[in-house]
Amino acid sequence: MESVLIVTPVTALEFLGEDYLLAGDGPVLSVYNLKTSPTTSALLSVLQNFRIHGIRPHQQQGDKAEHTSVAKKEEEEPQGLSWQQRAHLVVFGGKAVRLVELKMGELPSLQPLGPLIQLRDWVLDVHWLDVRGDLLGVTLAHNATLLLDVQKGSTLALCSCEDGCLLYSALLVGPCWKSLVVVGGTIFNQLVLWRPGEGTEKEGGRNMVGRVERRLLGHSGVIFSLAYLPKPGWLASASDDRSVRVWDVGALGGEAGCGAPSPTCLRVLYGHQARVFSVKLSSAGAFSAGEDGVCLAWDWDSGKVTRALRGHRAGGVRALAVSLGGAGGGGYVATGGTDGGIRLWSLKEEDSGLEDAGVLRDLGFEGVGCPKVVRVTGGRGLRQRGVVITTDQGEVYSWEEQRGWQLLWKGGAGFCSYNVMEVLEWWSGDEMCAVGSLSGEVWLFPLSQPSAGIRLKAGTGKIHSVLWVHPTGGRGGYLLASGAEGVVYRWQIDTELVGGAVVLNTEPLGPFILPPCAKRWLTTAVLISRPEGALWVCGDRRGSLLLYRDKAEEAKADGALQPMSVLFGVHGKQGVTCVCEHAGLIYSTGRDGCVRVSRLDASALEVLRVQRACRGMEWLERIMVLDPEVNPVEGEHGERHAGEVRLILGFHSVYFVVWDLVRQERLLSVPCGGGHRSWSYWLPQSPGADGAGTVVFVKHGAVMASRAPEETFHQQGGWELKEGIHGRGVTCVCHLGAVRVARQHWEILATGGEDTTLTVLTIDPRSRALRVLALITDHISSIRALAVVRRPGAREANDTKPLLSVLLFSAGGRAQLQCYRLLIGANGQLGLPSCQVIQVASHRLDEQWERRRNRHKTVKMDPETRYMSLAVVSDGTEGVLLAAACSDGALRLFSLTETSGRFQLLWETFYHQRCVLSVATYLLKDPQGCQRLFLFSAATDGVIAVWDTNTVRNLENGPSSDTCWKDPPSPCLTFPAHQSGVNTLAVWEGHWDDQGLSQAGGHWMTVASGGDDGQLSAVCIQVQFHSKEVEGSGLTLNLYARSVEPLAHSAPLTALIPLGPRLLISASPDQRISLWDRRGSSLRHQGVLFSHVADIAGLTAWQGEERQTWVAVCGQGLQLLRLEAEGDGK
Amino acid sequence: MGRSSKDKRDIYYRLAKEEGWRARSAFKLLQLDEEFNLFKGVRRAVDLCAAPGSWSQVLSRKLRGEEQEKEQEKEQEKEQAKIVAVDLQAMAPLPGVTQIQGDITKTSTAQEIIKHFEGQPADLVVCDGAPDVTGLHDVDEYIQAQLLLAALNITTHVLKYGGTFVAKIFRGKDVTLLYSQLRIFFGEVTCAKPRSSRNSSIEAFVVCQRYAPPEGYVPNMSNPLLDHCYDVDFNQLEGPNRVIVPFLACGDLSAFDSDRTYPLQLDPSKEYKYTPPTQPPIRPPYEQACRLRKSNLLANENSPSLPLDEGFSSLHLSANQDADVRPPAGTAEDGGKLDDK
Repeated sequence: MESVLIVTPVTALEFLGEDYLLAGDGPVLSVYNLKTSPTTSALLSVLQNFRIHGIRPHQQQGDKAEHTSVAKKEEEEPQGLSWQQRAHLVVFGGKAVRLVELKMGELPSLQPLGPLIQLRDWVLDVHWLDVRGDLLGVTLAHNATLLLDVQKGSTLALCSCEDGCLLYSALLVGPCWKSLVVVGGTIFNQLVLWRPGEGTEKEGGRNMVGRVERRLLGHSGVIFSLAYLPKPGWLASASDDRSVRVWDVGALGGEAGCGAPSPTCLRVLYGHQARVFSVKLSSAGAFSAGEDGVCLAWDWDSGKVTRALRGHRAGGVRALAVSLGGAGGGGYVATGGTDGGIRLWSLKEEDSGLEDAGVLRDLGFEGVGCPKVVRVTGGRGLRQRGVVITTDQGEVYSWEEQRGWQLLWKGGAGFCSYNVMEVLEWWSGDEMCAVGSLSGEVWLFPLSQPSAGIRLKAGTGKIHSVLWVHPTGGRGGYLLASGAEGVVYRWQIDTELVGGAVVLNTEPLGPFILPPCAKRWLTTAVLISRPEGALWVCGDRRGSLLLYRDKAEEAKADGALQPMSVLFGVHGKQGVTCVCEHAGLIYSTGRDGCVRVSRLDASALEVLRVQRACRGMEWLERIMVLDPEVNPVEGEHGERHAGEVRLILGFHSVYFVVWDLVRQERLLSVPCGGGHRSWSYWLPQSPGADGAGTVVFVKHGAVMASRAPEETFHQQGGWELKEGIHGRGVTCVCHLGAVRVARQHWEILATGGEDTTLTVLTIDPRSRALRVLALITDHISSIRALAVVRRPGAREANDTKPLLSVLLFSAGGRAQLQCYRLLIGANGQLGLPSCQVIQVASHRLDEQWERRRNRHKTVKMDPETRYMSLAVVSDGTEGVLLAAACSDGALRLFSLTETSGRFQLLWETFYHQRCVLSVATYLLKDPQGCQRLFLFSAATDGVIAVWDTNTVRNLENGPSSDTCWKDPPSPCLTFPAHQSGVNTLAVWEGHWDDQGLSQAGGHWMTVASGGDDGQLSAVCIQVQFHSKEVEGSGLTLNLYARSVEPLAHSAPLTALIPLGPRLLISASPDQRISLWDRRGSSLRHQGVLFSHVADIAGLTAWQGEERQTWVAVCGQGLQLLRLEAEGDGK
Repeated sequence: MGRSSKDKRDIYYRLAKEEGWRARSAFKLLQLDEEFNLFKGVRRAVDLCAAPGSWSQVLSRKLRGEEQEKEQEKEQEKEQAKIVAVDLQAMAPLPGVTQIQGDITKTSTAQEIIKHFEGQPADLVVCDGAPDVTGLHDVDEYIQAQLLLAALNITTHVLKYGGTFVAKIFRGKDVTLLYSQLRIFFGEVTCAKPRSSRNSSIEAFVVCQRYAPPEGYVPNMSNPLLDHCYDVDFNQLEGPNRVIVPFLACGDLSAFDSDRTYPLQLDPSKEYKYTPPTQPPIRPPYEQACRLRKSNLLANENSPSLPLDEGFSSLHLSANQDADVRPPAGTAEDGGKLDDK
């Protein structure tokens, strides 16, 4: 077995100068060259069964050190690289220390120097003590420090502190052993300072004991992290009590000993919402990061938070590193999350504008009247960016940075007090403006020549909205004016230049008629060209999505068009705000807080997916697809989700928010006062200028702009060096299939987590790259089980065929069951697989309760049922049968037909009367050729029950009708298998190679189970069918040969999976993955592998190409392993 | 999710409140006793890391009888079992339980225990202590192991030959190393899981019976008892020589299932009534931070952290108010922490 990829919490980060970042993720040390684009990296597994908790590069201080280094290297390797390109690192974690050499360069490489050094106790800090790179000070968790010769691996001296209590953190300061100072953060919330070099002999010289010289009290929780800054002699501590304290300890180490005789606490920094795991000090200030997932930058003088770096999912930041910064200041902060992700943040421009990132700029409107509508100009082109507004005096003004405010156009009395305006970037580089009035008047003019404007008539009533629609690839544009009584007037507009003057050509088109309702006007429209004719997808104020088709003949006759398809009120009563098209799909947003993804058929719209963009954000205004060619958002540091970054603009209470839908994070938040105001938005123009774009809006009669923080785009969410997956435990993993994209082989997996998200991800086993393809956030509680049907849907034959199409079921807390159709295709631009998610169905047991209006006043008496396990039976027809193990003691059967999009509860039994933990199914053909479906369920009492579904199904009524399921009978067989909970079940056909069993005849199945007791057991069950005359189910089950491994694992056995004809794989939180041979007359242990994924909860295995077998385990992270070939595993 | 939702998800949490136990962990000791008869003939018992005191409550009720009046009537102090509870934190007093506020790694604490037993060794030592978890499994498992070893170390000072030691363990990656160490000191080591401990949790208990330290072993508190390591070649890491002790599930199968979610109405004749926790947590580390958050005083980009001198001291709880076990003024997190100590 070989580990291919591992994603676990990042527990160590360290910069080497400004160019290299070192990271520890499980036992794996990685190095990233930050100066190459795209980033190059190398990795090496260095710590065996220990996790890396720290990395300390050897600091070559001063010229002397460099010379010795050079000399040494040249002796060893005459033609080799010069000293600058190599560095020695000491890596530690758990009870181990190891020396590693880093070769720098375009493609960095790592190489271990010597074996793993194992110590007797847990290592908390390691410190280089001499310039040659031999001696290390090592502080252990029981407050002892030793002097270690790292080349020889021998301990030269050991000194314990008189205060021998357990430490949670430690820090070593000082140039040599004699004057080394240890700062320990004790289990009793104290900081103790002592010197191991000053220890005295105790107990007849057997032990050296050091005296505590300083004791710093104040924290009310254990201390997780310590940092020291020699100038000005400050010590920082981060604690369980959610605070960071900064202490004035003075100079530590060397001559100064333990520093100031009575150190004072300078500051207590409370700013984190949860525990603080890490603190770092640099000349730029203090940095702290913790469980709340935020890294805070603190200002020395004011104690203010200067920046809050948010980029990690639930679970928080574990590791933090700050680079010193080059000659021009700056530098980087790196954060490593529990999610396994690493992000890098630049500290450049730190002094300019970062502090007031939220400050607004008043554009100082100078004209007459009050601004009504505001629009930005020069949004995408190279032109100067500007703003146009209309006022309540019926005038249009423009503003540019250099030229200030200018009156462009006067609309007269008809445009006073009420007007609407929209601006379109014109193909000629100009900008086209349309203004509508209260009485059906629309003025149209180019901003460069307002005098060339023309007047259009759109009925006689109020113009509710004017909209521009730009035909993709074409020139000109369409103007839509939504008048009274649901009539949308349309014109095709084009321009030509006649003698330097712009001449507008307008051609009226047939108006659209909106469906009757109270607020009957258009809010958004998009034109989609199809071979069979142009289609218009529109959204209205009533929340409906509408589809119109331009019919040439009717347009000529000026015939009004009725919608071909209406999704009435899908976005709620507050209206649709935006529709757009990307990659053949229609995206729409509304003030219901939802993004809808729809498919456009020849004659109808069909919603595939509803996504709540951001919890709490109910008012979405716009969705934007960042096309990588139009908006090169890739910075100097390369790859991002190009072409997939979908920005959501909207209002969240009093803030205007720019939200990244893919990464689920906030890019910009501007306190504008809330919705119900005119606003407009500039996309980020280039990575250097203004990262998250700029919003311009009207507030209290003033035109305001968000002051663009001087940051690049990727710094807003941090530059993502490594993608994280789930912030908390991954509870289940499921293999969906494999695809070939760009001649690469990609494995597709789905994972569900305690963070309530469902992730579809892809792994390229060759390059060990992992990419998240889709993040599904529909679950309201922890996801516990996944099941997959690898069968294409009925409809896909007509569509462009995806590479892979599966039906995925997820279930979890609050009795929630979801079903998705996942279409895996290829993202041509990126050479990566892509994933389209279609929501098929959703079900909750307590749906009735959720719909009750007075529910906050009453106490819900039902249990909060969790689904513990799922098993799927695809019975070959359209319908899918699904069995769920439920925490309220029930075993439930659901049916789902993809076309109806509904789950139906068919049958439930409370037979177990205990939490049902696992469920499995098995399909058998009886002598008549009929399929017999057996269900296996097991609960916390260790009993396994076998159900024959034919006895509960009334076949006369047809197999998938919900009336055909009878009351639950009793199981046809029960047997105790474990002392306590049965976590996992596996069923396969056949029995042991046992002569006695072969002779017994009948059908055979074998059930293996893994329990909380760490036991693996298996039984063979004989199925005997009787002729029809025998009453009852017509079959009997007999238990035979039993194979039990009582001590298969030293912790609960949580996952079990049979693979191929002979293998059984088991996994447990004891972090061992065991292989069992299931041929022969009992289970035989075949091999075991230690995994760095803690708290293993799920397992999946599959046969890949070239007879390779893959195993993926999940828990506190994810690991992919390869079994070389069938027969391997010794 | 209301305050009653935890009552549904965790039946033992609810039962503990209804039966007046300070924490649901009381049921774990009761169920361990059902299986191992831990309390039979016990005259002197020690509860290490006792706060908030639910195991001491069990010891008190089981070893001294339920009714205090009876106790007073008999007036036979000598007949009564002696119980000592040790913790760094103070806890609310319990009838018949002597509290020692001290560190279990100190020889003085061991001497004090023996003093309470009038020089006699203890028959039973229990420890349900758990450290402040970090969320990183390797660190948490290590620290839990050190806590267990510290408890074992003081136990070697106070436990009689043949006595019993019960302690909480995390069944994680290196639990076999702990087993091999406990085997040195005890004739019989069993990994037991009471049914009131969740199936999903890695928590279990080692029940170590027949205390018999190696010949010539001298209890020593000046050096910590370090845990074992895998052999140099790591053969034991993945090999078959790992020490796995027998597993035993404890408690009656007819008892409530800790993993099952129950409806609030358990008994049709008795209407559900919300019971507040018996004892809220005693001054959790995050108390000050919560207080600041509630008054909107946490630092952010717009407002600085409070200066140390002004305003802060009024909110600050001095670290020396040890005697004060008054529950904090209902912070949001209070409810969630009764779960285990």
